[in-house]
Amino acid sequence: MKVRALQYVVLVGVAAVFVGPLYWLVSTAFKQPAEIYQWPPSWWPDHLTWENFALAWKAAPFDRFFVNSTVITVAGTALKVTNAVLTAYAFAYLRFPGKKVLFFLVLGAMMVPGHVTLLPNYLTVATLGWINTYAGLIIPGIGSAFATFLMRQHFLTLPSEVTDAAAVDGAGHLRTLWRVVLPMSRPMLVTVVVITAVEEWNNFVWPLIVTNTASMRTLPVGLLILKDEEGLANWGTIMAGTLLVLAPMLVIFLIAQRYIVGGITQGALKG
Amino acid sequence: MRRRGFLGLAAALPLAGCGYRSVDAVYSQPAGAVPAQYARRVRVVFWSSYGGVNGKAVDGLVAKFNESQDDVYVEVQFQGSYDDVAQKVAAALIAKQAPDLAVLSDVTWERFFLNEALEPLNGYLADPAVYQPKLFGEYVVKGQSWCVPFARSTPILYYNRDAFAAAGLPDRAPRTWSELQSWGPSLAKVQSGGRALRTLAFAKVDGDWQFQGNVWQFGGSYSRGLDVTIAEAGAVAAGEWQRSMVHSLKLAYMASSPSTDFANGLVATIQESTGGLKSMTSKAKFRVGAGFVPGEVASGIATGGGGIGMLRNISAERKQAAAAFLTFLARPENAAWWTIQTGYLPVVEAAREVPELKKLIAEQPNYGVAIAQLANARQQDAIRLYGRNANVAIYTGLQQIYADNAAPSKVFATVARRLDAIGAEVRRLYEEKVL
Amino acid sequence: MQENPVGLRSRRRREYWLFAALVAPNLLVIAVFAYWPIVYNAFLSLTDWNMIAARPAFVGLANYGRTLTDPAFHRTLWVTVVFTGLIVAGSLVIGLALAFLFNLPLKGRGAVRTIAFAPHVLSGAAVATIWLFIFDPGYGLLRGPDWMNNSDWALPGLVIVYLWKNAGFAALIYLAGLQGLPKELDEAAVMDGASTWRRFHAIKLPLLAPITFFLLITTVIGTFQAFDVIAVMTGGGPGDATTTLSWAIYNEGFQAFNAGRAATLSIIMFVILLVVTTVQARVLERRVHYR
Repeated sequence: MKVRALQYVVLVGVAAVFVGPLYWLVSTAFKQPAEIYQWPPSWWPDHLTWENFALAWKAAPFDRFFVNSTVITVAGTALKVTNAVLTAYAFAYLRFPGKKVLFFLVLGAMMVPGHVTLLPNYLTVATLGWINTYAGLIIPGIGSAFATFLMRQHFLTLPSEVTDAAAVDGAGHLRTLWRVVLPMSRPMLVTVVVITAVEEWNNFVWPLIVTNTASMRTLPVGLLILKDEEGLANWGTIMAGTLLVLAPMLVIFLIAQRYIVGGITQGALKG
Repeated sequence: MRRRGFLGLAAALPLAGCGYRSVDAVYSQPAGAVPAQYARRVRVVFWSSYGGVNGKAVDGLVAKFNESQDDVYVEVQFQGSYDDVAQKVAAALIAKQAPDLAVLSDVTWERFFLNEALEPLNGYLADPAVYQPKLFGEYVVKGQSWCVPFARSTPILYYNRDAFAAAGLPDRAPRTWSELQSWGPSLAKVQSGGRALRTLAFAKVDGDWQFQGNVWQFGGSYSRGLDVTIAEAGAVAAGEWQRSMVHSLKLAYMASSPSTDFANGLVATIQESTGGLKSMTSKAKFRVGAGFVPGEVASGIATGGGGIGMLRNISAERKQAAAAFLTFLARPENAAWWTIQTGYLPVVEAAREVPELKKLIAEQPNYGVAIAQLANARQQDAIRLYGRNANVAIYTGLQQIYADNAAPSKVFATVARRLDAIGAEVRRLYEEKVL
Repeated sequence: MQENPVGLRSRRRREYWLFAALVAPNLLVIAVFAYWPIVYNAFLSLTDWNMIAARPAFVGLANYGRTLTDPAFHRTLWVTVVFTGLIVAGSLVIGLALAFLFNLPLKGRGAVRTIAFAPHVLSGAAVATIWLFIFDPGYGLLRGPDWMNNSDWALPGLVIVYLWKNAGFAALIYLAGLQGLPKELDEAAVMDGASTWRRFHAIKLPLLAPITFFLLITTVIGTFQAFDVIAVMTGGGPGDATTTLSWAIYNEGFQAFNAGRAATLSIIMFVILLVVTTVQARVLERRVHYR
């Protein structure tokens, strides 16, 4: 019995460690400056205020950042997942000379660490005239190796009668893909979409490098700019800005946590 | 075949144009929006690095220029910090694009000049004699001008007059660093934000500009020509004074943004560009004082800030049009207006006689500080100006002093080794083109 | 049924075309933005180029010579190794401990599991900003040392943030492994009177080895490229206390305009991680073979 009680204490402690910083973020964002700076700290805002959000909004165009982040996440995820599905389908069901070598080339891209490609890709994007454009933000990231791998592995587990039947029926490959294969692959599709979308939304270094006006910045990069411009004294404003950056993902996570947790761990374990 | 075809294409695509610039090619202009009424004029794209209060002042000057004549339309495009502009111009050139004019800082224009990206300006300037000779001369190499001065500055010492009064100190900037140090204990008795007021804040990043002056004030230098001298006595003494202010006396500290901390009343004095004067005056909730940066065994202060360069890879027509804007900026009333709106130095001698500026200085003497201090000012040591990333090497060393209580003699010995290597990289070009 | 050879050939040709059409966009992007950068880096690493000069100047292996003998580079490597080592060790140990906790029959463990995982999906830049406030010497909850302005504390501070962000992920991966272990084995050990420690040490840990190995590799690869938290919290400083290889690449390439040097560092990082992934591939291969 005593052991069990101790286990609960640890469990509550763990919860506190992970919730604590997020709670501190939210409560600070709603506090007035004097309360933020008081010691011992005030755990609950005395007077809830929206002022910090107004100041953050005034200091940086968060609406613009939000639009950019959304465009990049939606378009980037759609294109990348489409790439993965089409490539995986081709490698799973279609014949092509030298297919093995090509598949090896696709998988090999996983061996190239993203950070290593920053400078050459910056120069390539500059050559293409894509600096500070959506194309420059999105296109370099839509090549898909890992997601292609996951999708293909999954396609190969589908009973071959399904696709054979579809082929005999005279259904074209694209129709088979759309009508038969994809509906049978929903969990894997969710996994791939979740992993990709989270990555796109949180991407930091590439948007930092490839954008250079406030109108093209994404939320994470915009936050860095806000922090640099506000200095480290106006913590209320900065925490409000941080909350604006985190809130969409937090809300989505709380709503869809089952899919997100499942998707990411499944993706990792299958890889 | 097909497969090899597109892979080959993919490889050739970036290779074809990977940054190889023909020095005299004419590149296209960055896109933008031209209002209908200016559609028939020659368009000039001007990349600026001034936001906030100062950005509005740039917009004002450009609007006035566009109103003043019928041939040229200047479109100003704000691109971020000095470093952002430099990076963006470099990226544009790789993309075979070029803005016509760009703001280049005290440490970025040299790179563009050395690598033949700038148009020599001698033929374009209506009357070079109108400029403030010291500031103008910094851009003259072997008789040829490579930029014109625009938002030029020196650091000045900002002080919190209310805090000085509360501490019982005189209402003026200290004359020497030792004097400021002796004032520290009185300032520490003033409470601010629940804590003792600090005397001085050092910048975590880019503090090497202010430190250039500090090194001179303590009798040293960063370099003579490209020969590095930062490990010698004067620079070490300056570092040692700052180290003791932070660690032995606990009167100073390293700040991510000294000017923000100052505006928020956390620190009593900072060394900051005169170009932030207007912005600081409006942000701070106390009375802002300004004075000369203190001396010690010597006086001396580093010039800095931005000039305007004309890109070389643009058409002759665009060059002439851009020059018209530079001539406009050199008119006394415009130079004075810019100073009034920002706090930057007047870059044209006659601007000082413009009544509005004289009146402002009479009412708010802070605006006259940098002008008066200009007599003590000089161009920075060559290693910081021409050495690629020399500034980072220096401020990284300063961080070790501020953060870790590292001995300046040791830190600067290491920095000197890095600067030697940096100097070696650029020495050939420097000796060929500058000396 | 005999299909006529012409029809077969045209059908096959159509299939080839379809294959090419489906695969081409992906392969093109991969070729240009994943493979070409390696070639381009290799080329740039043999040059000195500030991205402004009309063309890069060929300098042979000078960048490699200078980098490999530069004390600053040695220091960067050391910082990277310490940083990676601490985060890998911390993630594995904390992750495993949390997995065991979440595997106990406790009420509310599901919720805590989710909460512990949440930071993994949050923006690193935002998480770093929160912790910057928590570490703030004047106003932070953990005020005490001047965390980010002190060379001794900045690196541990970063490690704490990364662990907070990623321990929940490791925990869930371990938990999936734990729940996949055959129950009979543990029950048999209990019957034999094996102590809890022995059951953990002699049975569970070895069975979890593949998962540990997987987490080890992915954490090493991820940590080597860690950037956002460093960029927000320290900018590689104070001094060079938190200058990892990934920060050094950014600094050389995008702050100092040293394309040649940045490319050299990129190639070095590529080679290091290539070794790591090759080891991983080898080990996985062996395991599959001996199974």
